[in-house]
Amino acid sequence: MKNYILLIFFVLNFGFVVNAQEWTVPAEEAEKVSPYIFEDDFVTDGEILYENSCTSCHGTPTENNFMPFSPPPGDPASEQFQSQPDGALFYKIQKGRGIMPVFENILAEEEIWSLIAYFRSFNKEYVQPEFDYGDEVLSELKFDLDFDENIDKLVVKVFSDGEVEEGIDVSAFVVGMFGKFPLGKTKTNELGLAYLDVDPSLPGDKQGNLDILVRVRKGYAIEKATTSMKIAEPAQQTSLIEGRHLWSTGDKAPVWLLVTFLLIVVGIWGVILYIIFGLFRLKKIG
Amino acid sequence: MAEKSNAPRRKSRREFLRKLGTTGAVSIAGTSLLFAGSKTGNSDKTPGSKVKMLDQNNRLVEADVSQVSPVSVKIDAGYLNKKGRKGLPGRKFVMVVDLARCRNARKCMKACQGAHQLRPEQHHINVLEMYDEENGASYFMPKPCQHCDNPNCVTVCPVDATFKREDGIVLIDNERCIGCRFCIAACPYSARTFNWAEPKDAEKYKDVPYDMELNVPQKKGTVTKCAFSADRLREGKLPYCVSACPNGVYYFGDENEDLVTNGTTRETVRLSKLLKQNASYTLMPELGTKPRVYYLPPRRS
Repeated sequence: MKNYILLIFFVLNFGFVVNAQEWTVPAEEAEKVSPYIFEDDFVTDGEILYENSCTSCHGTPTENNFMPFSPPPGDPASEQFQSQPDGALFYKIQKGRGIMPVFENILAEEEIWSLIAYFRSFNKEYVQPEFDYGDEVLSELKFDLDFDENIDKLVVKVFSDGEVEEGIDVSAFVVGMFGKFPLGKTKTNELGLAYLDVDPSLPGDKQGNLDILVRVRKGYAIEKATTSMKIAEPAQQTSLIEGRHLWSTGDKAPVWLLVTFLLIVVGIWGVILYIIFGLFRLKKIG
Repeated sequence: MAEKSNAPRRKSRREFLRKLGTTGAVSIAGTSLLFAGSKTGNSDKTPGSKVKMLDQNNRLVEADVSQVSPVSVKIDAGYLNKKGRKGLPGRKFVMVVDLARCRNARKCMKACQGAHQLRPEQHHINVLEMYDEENGASYFMPKPCQHCDNPNCVTVCPVDATFKREDGIVLIDNERCIGCRFCIAACPYSARTFNWAEPKDAEKYKDVPYDMELNVPQKKGTVTKCAFSADRLREGKLPYCVSACPNGVYYFGDENEDLVTNGTTRETVRLSKLLKQNASYTLMPELGTKPRVYYLPPRRS
């Protein structure tokens, strides 16, 4: 019994000691700010990442349902999280401590920033600090899209400040109802062209259109747009309630059912009326 | 005694009908304005500039500013009823359950019961343990309504309360249901449950107009079933169970697009490929019910 109390005391104390240890972030790391703008799409990327990698310990933000570890993982929407600068959060996610895993080799820097963008979406007062791009000039990206039917490839021509350039990242997706289906990731060639495979068996809508999301990235400059393109064959979309079935609503009941039903109703009423008519005739005779 | 307990219920039903008559009183949300475009877009009436907005099918469309005018929609029982019967045009919803990933976390059941006002013993989706006595082998199988393309339950309904929509979802209308439970007897998958007692939180949902797509508020003496979260699908979101799963068991999507999205990883894959490459199957195919829920086998070598 005594041992138990001692053990409990020890464990509590241990927890306290660990809690008391501040997780210090080097000053230059804490000052780091995101080069990416925390816009809606970026926040959504972060949300998906969070649900995959973080929910198991940190719980759902704003609900304070994180795991009861020591030190507590905390809720990303809480004051404890929001009072820290972006750089400190970035450092802690990257380096980890104790049971907090090291994400340095798992998540790319852009992905970690998207997580922070997601955390900040719960803070109405947050204003994103500006990133000093220094000597690097953000180039203005533009692109044109085309579909080459002969080789079933999506062709993206990228202009960086009006010029074609080699080695710009291009990725493309088909936008589905619930998610983005990746077509691939590639770089532009010396003509500023990027080719992406499109599976010809992908069904389009009634006109054969597919919604294509193209994302172009050069350094910190990102440009993306969704375009509806005629790529697939026009699809024959049939309604699942077409035709007459036993399970259809009354107005679309099978013909044989309607006929049989009407015959039965007419037959029964006919017999009843015939009997009544006969009774009247009997009375007349009698 | 029986009369006494019946008295308040009768009164509330009468009150409810009276409220139905005066549509204004029913609409809790009052008049909700569906604004197309933002505030700036509204003030900027110069013709030629375009605004982006979502149409009823959740597709991003563009329209000229001068063409756009706010629409007022009364969210009352009549509106919800009409909307629920309609279905999303051009969609055929389909679910794929990857049994190899199910670890019996039962988060899907919890999310579902929370959304649909269900008691703990009532299930729209149930995780069953499939146990082989001889070998001691077991796996877990989540089982929602199969949303059959040839639904027996709809065939037997005498009052047209349960029906199939053009997007494939089989729904039930509480207001029409007479509680005969023919559909429960007809369903080979035991997907339906009956409200024997007052539903959970009945007091809380007392004045809420009945939303067929969410199937809330539930009503004592009626049948309730999985709705593929039709209310969420209308917003372009994944069903409650699918997004609640921590293990990536569920894929959900549109057969017309041939794309399904995993609720956990949000990875989007081709439906036809997923089914073909993983030896997918449906439950009791010999009955010819043509389920819209596919299963991937519990073990893969």
